[in-house]
Amino acid sequence: MATSLVRKTKLLSMVSSQLNSAACFRNIHCTAACLKNRAARIRVAKGDKPVTYEQAYHPHHIGHRKGWLSQHTSNLQGEDGAAERVVEDVFIRRFMYGTFHGCLADEVVIKRRGNLLLICAVMIQKLLPSKFYFLIGYTEELLSHFYKCPVKIEMQTVEEKVVYKYL
Amino acid sequence: MASSCSQALRHHVCKSSRILQEIVIPKKKTWSKEAVLQALASTVNRDPTASDYRFQDDPYLTPKTSSEFKLFSLSQESGRNAAKYFISTYPKYFQKDYAQPHIPCLMPETLEAQIEEVSEAALIERIQMRKVKAAVDLYDQLQQAGTPVSLDVTNQLLDLICFYGDCDPAQENVPEQRNEETEDVQDEPQTKKGRASKASDKLKAAWKENNNAERIFALLSEPNTHSYSALIRGMVKYGAYSKAFSTYTDLLNNQLKADVSTFNALITAAPEVKEKYNEKWELIVDLLKQMAEQKVKPNLLTLNAVLKALRRCGTVGKSQAFPVISEMRALSIDPSLASYNHLLSIFYKPGAPFQGQTDILQEVMNEVSGKSFTPQDPDDAQFFITAVRICLDTKDIEQAYRVHELLGVGENWRLLGNDFQQNIYHARFFSLLCMMENIDVVLKWYRDLVPSVYYPSSNVMRDLLQVLDTDNRLDLIPQIWKDLKQLGHGNRQTLVEELLTLMAREKQNQEVQETFAECALDIKKMYDTGDRGKVMMSWTAGSLSDLVSVLLAAQRRQDAWEILKLFKTHNRVPSEELLDKFLTCIKESGDVNQALELVQISAGFCLPGTPKLIQRVQQEFLLSEQQKSMLSDLEIQTFNSD
Repeated sequence: MATSLVRKTKLLSMVSSQLNSAACFRNIHCTAACLKNRAARIRVAKGDKPVTYEQAYHPHHIGHRKGWLSQHTSNLQGEDGAAERVVEDVFIRRFMYGTFHGCLADEVVIKRRGNLLLICAVMIQKLLPSKFYFLIGYTEELLSHFYKCPVKIEMQTVEEKVVYKYL
Repeated sequence: MASSCSQALRHHVCKSSRILQEIVIPKKKTWSKEAVLQALASTVNRDPTASDYRFQDDPYLTPKTSSEFKLFSLSQESGRNAAKYFISTYPKYFQKDYAQPHIPCLMPETLEAQIEEVSEAALIERIQMRKVKAAVDLYDQLQQAGTPVSLDVTNQLLDLICFYGDCDPAQENVPEQRNEETEDVQDEPQTKKGRASKASDKLKAAWKENNNAERIFALLSEPNTHSYSALIRGMVKYGAYSKAFSTYTDLLNNQLKADVSTFNALITAAPEVKEKYNEKWELIVDLLKQMAEQKVKPNLLTLNAVLKALRRCGTVGKSQAFPVISEMRALSIDPSLASYNHLLSIFYKPGAPFQGQTDILQEVMNEVSGKSFTPQDPDDAQFFITAVRICLDTKDIEQAYRVHELLGVGENWRLLGNDFQQNIYHARFFSLLCMMENIDVVLKWYRDLVPSVYYPSSNVMRDLLQVLDTDNRLDLIPQIWKDLKQLGHGNRQTLVEELLTLMAREKQNQEVQETFAECALDIKKMYDTGDRGKVMMSWTAGSLSDLVSVLLAAQRRQDAWEILKLFKTHNRVPSEELLDKFLTCIKESGDVNQALELVQISAGFCLPGTPKLIQRVQQEFLLSEQQKSMLSDLEIQTFNSD
């Protein structure tokens, strides 16, 4: 038994030395789990959960049944700044979610035209129009000064959240 | 011949080749960066179905009345001010500069002065930040420390103090709390009062005795023209007119020359220091002569100051206005809209009867039509309002159209003034249209202006109803009622009663009568709902009768019966004709019980027409024995009570 063990270890060291040679080199990747098959998908449940059109269709339907929520040119060939646009978008979405709390009926669509940053939002008629205008003026001014570019909000209101189906 | 032909041809080719050799390359045209946008913008007219550009394009968020318009625009402004407060309180989060080229207006502004030490640079900084008190304190500190302050900087300080009247300017972040009436902004004296009170609020600070400006001026060893100019202009702005003139005499005694803005200020002050018209005029002429002696060239503001002063000079103003303008023209000073405004105000005093000067407006419009004006004088914004007021008073619709056309030329829309002035302009224009034009033209303008540009008040809507009446288009009343509700005038008693009267006056054809009945029932709902503290309307006998007549004419007996019961609940007495009409209607259906109830109601009100009603019922209806006896009892009752 001892001899077989020694032989096995010898075999192991031979194998590991072969592995350590340049021909077969494997690195270890350490990232968080991306869970690409669970992102932005609402799973089918009992049938009482209302879900909007945007939420009902999964990411592989983008370009087929859904549009894009963020429109800019930095993903074209030769353009840069894509990462900065993503960070800006994340900030703007959180800002809108917090400022118009409970009023957003659907995801915010962000469009960039030249210098102009256009934030398109659909709101529920939860607040009085004068309060909406206060928040619109506040958001436009604050984000303009923050991003050093003109920011405009285009708002549409609906009575209640538009339900596409129940999952 | 062939040779001569070919020779001619060769000659021609030579010539043309010579011409070809002289190619002239045209100069390259440079377009501004916004040229394409401007060209595109010129192809689009105003959209009469959209609201103002400030608001979101959504039915819930569009203002429908003038008070909503004001509320929404003010709340948007206050949102912006809230954001500005945060930006100025926490500037460190807004320092990162993404913009290339740099956009200075999007950087946080520094509200506190940076330079702390007592020096001239610190003084200049505080002057630029418009901090009046801080600047004066710093100047005093500098004087005490013995550092000499240069004359330029002292002049700037004097300018600052005299412009703001020795108090700090009101912070711009506070939105102006206007408490003007939101409803009828029609009447002339009311609007004038409103404007005057706002202006006097701002200039509440009168020129105080021995204030900082005078003190600092006295400290100056060698005041120059600029110092005198600042002081005189400040005095005139804040109402110390005689002081201004005495300061001017000081200036002359020191053998200095005044500059053009000093003279402008003195001319403005001239009507205040003299009483009689010709004395005022003589003072102005005197000032102008001195201006010529000192070789100071007058400018546009001089012309406007003279004309404005002439407004206070009565008949002298009328005779001198045109010569002044022609002299200024000779000096190549073209009148601006403010000059024309003053001219019109000289000749058309509000409320005064006209003595045949109706062609001055025409001449002015001839001068002005087709030209695009830029703002050169604060009074430019008054031109359109004055012009349309004159058109309204003289009932001149042609000139009104020309004035309105002028508004569409080039940049002239900027000279219409703020929202308040725009409202006045459109109100007057629309009233004139209602007075003078027929219904089709009025409706065309109505659809164009309302509600995208103008929210009419209830007076103007009453004018519109009168036009409908005159042109016999009463079938449009239900549409107008819908607009009235939307504009927020649905609970104005006089307007609603007038609507009901117009509907009840004549019998229309069947469909129109149906629409009237629907409208009338809708109006009834407005009387009933009194939610959230809205102004409650109370029924009058007239309005109830009109309502019943309209419903009867549309054969809606059941609804009319309900309304008839309302007479009792609201303590109003129906008229005899109404009950007569009702009886006729009942007869058509043949409902005997209802007829009897009608008679009982009439008896209940102790109306003198009850016996006649009873007679009619007895004659026209088939009554049972019981009913006949009841009627005869009633007859005796009424007979006894008479």
